Amino acid sequence: MLTRRRFIASSAALASNLFAAPKNSKTPVVDLEKLGAVALNEAKKYKATYCDIRIVRLRDQRVGLRLTPERGTGKTQAVPTVAEDSSFGFGVRVIVNGAWGFASSPIVTKEEIARVTGEAVIIAKANATIQPKPIELAPVKAYRDRWETPHEKDPFEVPMADKLELLRRSTEAVKKNAKVYGSTASFNVRSEDKYFASTEGSSIQQLILQIYGNVDATAIDRQAGITRTRNYTPTQASAGWEYVPEMNLEENAGRIREEVLEHLVAPPVKPGKKDLILMPNHLMLTIHESVAHPTELDRALGYEANYAGTSYITLDKIGKRIASEHCTFIGDRTSPRALGTVGYDDDGVKTSQFTIIDQGIFRNYQTTREQAHLVGDKESHGCSQADSWATVPFQRMPNVWLKPGPAETTLESLISGIDDGVLIDGRGSYSIDQQRYNFQFGGDAFWEIKGGKKGNMISRVAYQGRTPDFWQACDGTAGPSYWRQFGTTGDAKGEPTQINSISHGCSPSRFRNINVLLTD
Amino acid sequence: MFTKDEAQKLGQKVLGYSTFPECQVTITSVEEAYTRFAKNGITTASLSMRRSVSVAVTRDGRTGQYGVDDLDDASLKEAVRKAEELAAISPPNPERMPALGPQKYPSVNDFDEATANARAPQMIPHVKTIIDTATKRKLVAAGLIERAHRITAITNKSGLFGFHEGADSQLTTTVRMPDGSSSGWAGQPSLKLSEIDSAKLAAAASEKCERWRNPQRLDPGNYTVVLEPTAAGDIVRLITPGFSARATDEGRTFLSKRGGGTLVGEKMFPEFINLRSDPFDGRQPSSPWGGELLPSKALALIDKGVVANLEYDRYWASKTGKEPNGGGGGRGGFGGGFGQGGNALTLEGGSDSIESLIASVDRGLLITHFWYIRNVNPQTLQQTGLTRDGVFLIENGKITAPVMNFRFLESPVRLLKNTKRLGPAVRVRGLEGGMMVSPALVASDFPLPSISDAI
Repeated sequence: MLTRRRFIASSAALASNLFAAPKNSKTPVVDLEKLGAVALNEAKKYKATYCDIRIVRLRDQRVGLRLTPERGTGKTQAVPTVAEDSSFGFGVRVIVNGAWGFASSPIVTKEEIARVTGEAVIIAKANATIQPKPIELAPVKAYRDRWETPHEKDPFEVPMADKLELLRRSTEAVKKNAKVYGSTASFNVRSEDKYFASTEGSSIQQLILQIYGNVDATAIDRQAGITRTRNYTPTQASAGWEYVPEMNLEENAGRIREEVLEHLVAPPVKPGKKDLILMPNHLMLTIHESVAHPTELDRALGYEANYAGTSYITLDKIGKRIASEHCTFIGDRTSPRALGTVGYDDDGVKTSQFTIIDQGIFRNYQTTREQAHLVGDKESHGCSQADSWATVPFQRMPNVWLKPGPAETTLESLISGIDDGVLIDGRGSYSIDQQRYNFQFGGDAFWEIKGGKKGNMISRVAYQGRTPDFWQACDGTAGPSYWRQFGTTGDAKGEPTQINSISHGCSPSRFRNINVLLTD
Repeated sequence: MFTKDEAQKLGQKVLGYSTFPECQVTITSVEEAYTRFAKNGITTASLSMRRSVSVAVTRDGRTGQYGVDDLDDASLKEAVRKAEELAAISPPNPERMPALGPQKYPSVNDFDEATANARAPQMIPHVKTIIDTATKRKLVAAGLIERAHRITAITNKSGLFGFHEGADSQLTTTVRMPDGSSSGWAGQPSLKLSEIDSAKLAAAASEKCERWRNPQRLDPGNYTVVLEPTAAGDIVRLITPGFSARATDEGRTFLSKRGGGTLVGEKMFPEFINLRSDPFDGRQPSSPWGGELLPSKALALIDKGVVANLEYDRYWASKTGKEPNGGGGGRGGFGGGFGQGGNALTLEGGSDSIESLIASVDRGLLITHFWYIRNVNPQTLQQTGLTRDGVFLIENGKITAPVMNFRFLESPVRLLKNTKRLGPAVRVRGLEGGMMVSPALVASDFPLPSISDAI
């Protein structure tokens, strides 16, 4: 057991400097390798057939600003939030007697790594007593490498005052119209320093950077009892601060200011079967829920049955049509600036692209080393991920993106083919069943399409469908110049629940004869 | 894990590093152990510990916060320095309230030592019971048994100090037919691991799976429903954002009166609906303090069907001449625990057994629990989600057939308005972590607008 004295007396020297490496270094820091070797050597003493260690430092900086009227005076008040957290620790995974064991600790010392490796072995031995079949890992090459998110400017080095100033300008732009009740804006900057070593011979150091931003506008009609909010959420990216000017937060603040007021008085949708145009910042989450999740192999096999669920895409669907010929989906942990892009996964597998659905035909599940043999694959697709040093790596989705259509297909040409439809922009309420059949998705803003033309804003829209029918109803997706990638940062799966951040790219796409609902 | 004395000393040390007039330190330490199983075998198991110190400093109304989990002196000094740096460049917060002085916190007993220390030897027998039952009945079990031991301490430069130690556990299982043609679920959250009845859960989930085979397709529409306690809690707990005094005054909740004012004092619900935030309920984890560090208090939200109170945080209370009564989004009040939101919420139960609730229904549906519930309209609290792991047709007071899953589109407000009867209240924890104390209930006109093919 961990004593109180050892718990409190953590090592100071190992924190922030441990991961420091020359900018273009291609090998891990030697001190990390020495720490990693402790776990691997200890595991061998216990006759573990496999061991890996991840030493991880997470940083999370949040800055926000809310402009709302003061009660009584109506004067606009600016309420700031400025906060940062960091977390540092390690986790050790072992296979003993054919079963997994895992243990972790926030005390990164050689002594503690040795002790925790022993804890993981104890857990593995206990699990082995009712393990039906021994764990089988697909082969992997040994790598010694250092990888980092391509970036020019470390976002943590940018003065907080610069971040606040950009948020101030954006929220003030929203509040320029006094009819807008309130506005909030935020930046979130995250980094993950990660060192991985395994008994397969790998020693891998990675630095992953992510930036998110947002500005919103809220309008209230007290007489009618209606509140509407309009969001501008630029692409969430794995990038350095040099990406921030491309977010155009301030430039879009004026647009959402006017759109939230239009939404407040927009007439409700007339429900019924309609054609839909789904914009990339909306369709990305539809892809996430109805394509990326059901093609996770652990779901299909029943390993997530108690929480996240199983999948309608069962093993017999390999090689079968599950979407229209316009739909080709790629699993990809190498896509530039995507949130799920890394050099290596948490099994030490070098990341790659793979086809999930090819012109509507289902081809490949997402896999880890432990799963590859279950579908007859010789190697993993590199989808192993843990959300911290304290959690167990398991199969998480990669970035999954929809190939764009031909260059001559434009947003306008898609709209022109619709007699009665709705264009949906941004994320709203999303819900889907545990096998990913029945879904109901909302949006952030909606425009009526009549006679091939985009008309005025409408309100209270959601659409409901059955996944295989919905993707069969896709009859066009716009060309490469329309393709955009958007991220989601709170993807929950596993027990205890872990969070994943990934991106989904697509062009605006058209879906025929979809059931549109009128909501509250 | 920290003792009270160690936490107090650590807190004082960190306060001593700050040069700012106001400094608040929050210390947390959590040790968790779990065993996860699927396909009648163990898949993962873990023992993990996390601890953190969060420092919030304020000068001239400017606040910065920095959290760290290295607890050596150098790291703690650095955390204070970074918090002070952040505060220095932050604009003043016009809604900030002054630091609280010493508080008298109530006693909240949600700590069981055996649960706090449980490891694989205490948990694996439960897993074995579930797997053995499923195997014997030619079924396939998945699930999770977990326990958490949590310590939280708070202190500030104005002399405030609080310490709380809690533990919690739960076992859930989903039992399916080998060909995936049916599914049954059972779960039990418990402050004491020793009170988890794995044999009962294994039997309940297996029986439900066996009874739900070959579900028939019923037309979508509005049905009278019997919601088992977990299903009722899944929806009812989502009513709490509507009781925010600020949002209500601003015209943004279902309790905002058209044109201004609130619906407090209005009888919106049946006489037998009593809903309260109750940190002293004893059946669920809680905290001696709320998110703003005021001592936890029980608060009636709906009393005999009448909207009784709104929840005031310190700032909004100061602007409206009210007493603060919770708020701030932390534990106690409406927050916290080991799940998300609504943990201290209790819907008072009735005396009808689940069998007599079913017997009271001429034609309706019995629902086990819900999945993927999301807010559709923050103002009306309309939610959507799906039934899961067992839906049954009730005819003339008896269960007559298994039926396919449905999507629902309903608000907790309308659900409580349409509630006809209540069973005894028990602690429940939904699939997505939300906890409360909830009874089974019978409600009319529950909208189920579409069918789901999912099993």
